[in-house]
Amino acid sequence: MTGISWRHVALWAVFIIFMLLLPEMVSKGTLRTVIFANFLAIFAISWDVISGRTGYISFGHPFLIGIGAYTTAILSYRFGMPVGLSIPLAVCVTMVAGTLFFLPALRVKGSYFALVTLAFMELMYQLVQVIRPDLTGGTRGMSGVTTLARGAVNNYYLSFGLMIVIAVSMWVLMKTRFGTALSAIGMNEESVRGSGLSTTRLKLFAFMVSAMVAGLGGAFYVHYLGSIAPRALFDINFVFTIIVAVLIGGASTIVGPMLGAFFLTFLLEYLRPYLPGAERYFIYGSIALVIYMYQPKGLYEIVMQQWRKYRVVKAGET
Amino acid sequence: MIQILIQGLLLSGLYALIAVGFTLIFSVGRVLNLAYASYLMVGGYIYFYVVQTQGMPKIVGMVVAVLMGCLMGMLMYRAMVKPLKGDHVAVEISTLILAVVIQAGIVLLFNDSAKILHPILPGVWHVGGATVTLNILTATVVSWLILGGLYWFVRKTHTGRAMQAVSMDAKGATVCGVDADRINLITWGISGGLGALAGVFFASYTQLSPNMWVTPLIIAVAVVIVGGIGSIVGTLIVAHIIGFMEIISTTLIAAELRGVFTMLLIIGVLIISPKGLFGREELG
Repeated sequence: MTGISWRHVALWAVFIIFMLLLPEMVSKGTLRTVIFANFLAIFAISWDVISGRTGYISFGHPFLIGIGAYTTAILSYRFGMPVGLSIPLAVCVTMVAGTLFFLPALRVKGSYFALVTLAFMELMYQLVQVIRPDLTGGTRGMSGVTTLARGAVNNYYLSFGLMIVIAVSMWVLMKTRFGTALSAIGMNEESVRGSGLSTTRLKLFAFMVSAMVAGLGGAFYVHYLGSIAPRALFDINFVFTIIVAVLIGGASTIVGPMLGAFFLTFLLEYLRPYLPGAERYFIYGSIALVIYMYQPKGLYEIVMQQWRKYRVVKAGET
Repeated sequence: MIQILIQGLLLSGLYALIAVGFTLIFSVGRVLNLAYASYLMVGGYIYFYVVQTQGMPKIVGMVVAVLMGCLMGMLMYRAMVKPLKGDHVAVEISTLILAVVIQAGIVLLFNDSAKILHPILPGVWHVGGATVTLNILTATVVSWLILGGLYWFVRKTHTGRAMQAVSMDAKGATVCGVDADRINLITWGISGGLGALAGVFFASYTQLSPNMWVTPLIIAVAVVIVGGIGSIVGTLIVAHIIGFMEIISTTLIAAELRGVFTMLLIIGVLIISPKGLFGREELG
């Protein structure tokens, strides 16, 4: 384990303390916004584990999130299963689905992989409406799913707790040799294989981890919202939001997607009074496009560059 | 039975028209332009604006739509694809973002509600117990003409052969004195124009709405993946496979399942034979 210094630990601690004190400082409305930011951060981290690191771009992440969400919603709502059981089950099912998602990654990469994941998502969207609508609720979905906590403050702590546990553990995981190997796959898969590592096993593990995070996020999300509908979930705009969050923040950093998710959610929230409808996508899509064309590694990299420059200047002065 | 046959043929013609522009870019530039379906949407909306809001003749609307699509394609190549210098994943992500931005732009200009296009050629045609709208018949005939023309263009003209050369080996083509950049620009222009034209027909077949681009994108993707890179004939064949699959599943099984088999086909082919069923490495 290299690359974790006291400064990192201190920064995380400051962040956690700040977030824990947040309900004391802001209104309930803002807190609800932060809850959404937390969930978006979870989805963004999940995307980042596969796509940010290894370069296997997933355009179908809602496929995984949706499976987690639907499984727990069906189990608890239709069969009255306690949430304590249905969520772990949902996560397991999502991980199994993750293997399905992984199959094409054995054969194709780059553009093709992105497209096959898109196909997965659209397939799921159509199947959910057709197969057993008595279970899935068909086009209208389900409402009245058990919620886990009441009130903004409790929900905030729940979502933040989930998010921070996932974020820190992913961050630590990516600091290990495993994370390095995944980044190496993103740079040059052949040379990783050439140096004697099983890229298949590495990729499979990455997909499992990503699916687990997506399943957790999806399951808790549906129990927060209390409802689920296919069009809101298996939507290209949803993929777009996740990817843009990661790209604005900075891919393959774990911290970046978190930052991006918060930035994006608040940007959306502050634009709401001026642009109530889909026009907001126009603004933030354009922002994302400009940032992406200027620095594909996102805000994280821009900040780090400035920081490095600043350090060099300071070192030069003394 | 005859109903299935005729409807399948007509739908496939439309699908081939939708997919061919996408295939073209993919073969020559090796990039997947996920904003391709926005050309369709923009084409449809421009036609709607010119013909149904301004009351100009239909042919003017079509010409304006094609020209705008052409311009859009070239602009996208110059402003986005070229600066990214062949980083395929970056091109895909940025074109996807662009597609959503264009969708939002359409909502800004034309609001959210779906719009119905008047049929391009009104009327129906009865043949062998089946009823066919002249609208989709026109689309199919135009599609066949364009595919034939494109085949001839790629095979016989100087520019077309240069396109073939670039699709085989961009560096080699440059060495032989082909300006690959110019060829790419032309290809993007043609693809944009074809997309916009396909959009007019597609919109008159379904309807205009800001999220109408997802379905044709999936169709184009399916055709390219299943047909393999760069085969115009492959495009035609696979468009028929998909078109007939949809019609058969709609009439014989259930209307809701129409897209399911297309997705399964994409996933299946990519897992089993990633090069596509008619895999070719160059345009032809």
